[in-house]
Amino acid sequence: MSELAAIFFGMALVNNMVLSKFLGLCPFFGVSKNLKSAFSMGVAVLLVMFVASAVTWPLFHVLLVPYGAGYMRTVIFILVIASLVQIIEMTIKRTNLTLYNALGIYLPLITTNCAVLGITFINIDSAYTFPQSIAAALGAGLGFTLVLVIMSGIRERLDLADTPKAFRGAPIAFITAMFLGLAFLAFGGMVG
Amino acid sequence: MSVQTILAVALLTLVGLIAGIAIFVVNRLLPKEDESLQKASEIKEYLPGADCGACGHPGCFAYAQAAAKDSEVVVKTPCRLLAKDKEGTKRLGEYLGFDIDTTQIGQKAVVHCTGDSPVIGAYSGITTCGAAVQVGGGFKECPYACLGFGDCAAVCPADAITIDAVRQVAVVDWEKCIGCGMCVKTCPRSLIELIPADMPQYLGCNYLAAKDVAQRKKCSVGCIHCRLCVKASEHDEVTWNDEKDLPFFDPEKKMVAAAAIEKCPRSIILKTPAFPEGIDTVAEAAPTQEKEQATG
Repeated sequence: MSELAAIFFGMALVNNMVLSKFLGLCPFFGVSKNLKSAFSMGVAVLLVMFVASAVTWPLFHVLLVPYGAGYMRTVIFILVIASLVQIIEMTIKRTNLTLYNALGIYLPLITTNCAVLGITFINIDSAYTFPQSIAAALGAGLGFTLVLVIMSGIRERLDLADTPKAFRGAPIAFITAMFLGLAFLAFGGMVG
Repeated sequence: MSVQTILAVALLTLVGLIAGIAIFVVNRLLPKEDESLQKASEIKEYLPGADCGACGHPGCFAYAQAAAKDSEVVVKTPCRLLAKDKEGTKRLGEYLGFDIDTTQIGQKAVVHCTGDSPVIGAYSGITTCGAAVQVGGGFKECPYACLGFGDCAAVCPADAITIDAVRQVAVVDWEKCIGCGMCVKTCPRSLIELIPADMPQYLGCNYLAAKDVAQRKKCSVGCIHCRLCVKASEHDEVTWNDEKDLPFFDPEKKMVAAAAIEKCPRSIILKTPAFPEGIDTVAEAAPTQEKEQATG
């Protein structure tokens, strides 16, 4: 149990998807302009990461490994994740319109998100067991949401600040991201 | 072909097939898409898709969803951006099954200030009007002067507002203005107003008598309430608004007040692009006839 917790927090803080693995950088800058959409995006990624890991791990170990086709994981995983996102979007759209309006519009964006594909590969490469890979996926999704929410909070405040003209918009966001990365560096070595 | 290749092709086909079947099954099992949602996505095709939020709904799709439930929405809270495009409005009306009167929704923003009020002290805080008015009631002599930081320009979805750098005042480009009223809500000094797109003139001052501490004299372009405009108008083109203590142009009548524009000692009755051409002098102005020309 403590091992699962270590993986969970390790993925969320130490090996953060955005700040230390550099995955999912497009939503990190694209959807971090306001807090509400950043949170929705984060939750959507968390959801898809969880489902994707839960499906790709058995797929890899039951279907690909026995036939010696591990090298095909990239193309197979992309195919599976894309269909999964499609199904999730369809389900939300038909069953809960409020949830769809809050979350659904971000789902098509996630279909080709590298953080989602990344976590499935990390699970395989780290030779995680099934519970471990679920813990890793949840941790990674939480870490992604956390960073996105922090970033959007900072950017909302930055909009009000008197930034030099040359730094307004993207440049100051990059600088902020750097400081955020430095801050998260302090977690290094704590777990895993 | 080696076994490995066949295996790879077979695996990929298998996974693809399973994924496809899964989507098909889920599609069949789930309840049918909400009908209003279907209609909403059709309505969205007619909307500009700028997601400006001027209609009061969060984005075009939310507006379409509201319109799908109750088609009266497009008249009650019209899409200002669409109103500019008469053909598009007509097509949306045809789709919903009734006529949308575009003339009713044509409104434009005007700024009731021409700048030039002297600055009373240097302000070096946050560069937004909203912040500047918090500090000692603004840094300009006149408590109603435009502060020129462009809060209005920032929210304008059509980029119709620019800041005149010399006079530090917001200027609305009527060609681009979609009359959404975002600037009206944003301006902390309530200087911006929506007027009918065929109003021929407006007043470039918003000095309310309530705060009159002889400051009008400190602004070289402030209304000095001499009422020469009222006296100059033979057909009541200009009346006096006692509440605001400012001249008033009736938005119902939309009369051309050429004589008043001529007479104003501060030259702050400003012509809009709707002002009929060829009227310059008092002699030429014939308000009762021009009224029809202006509205028609």
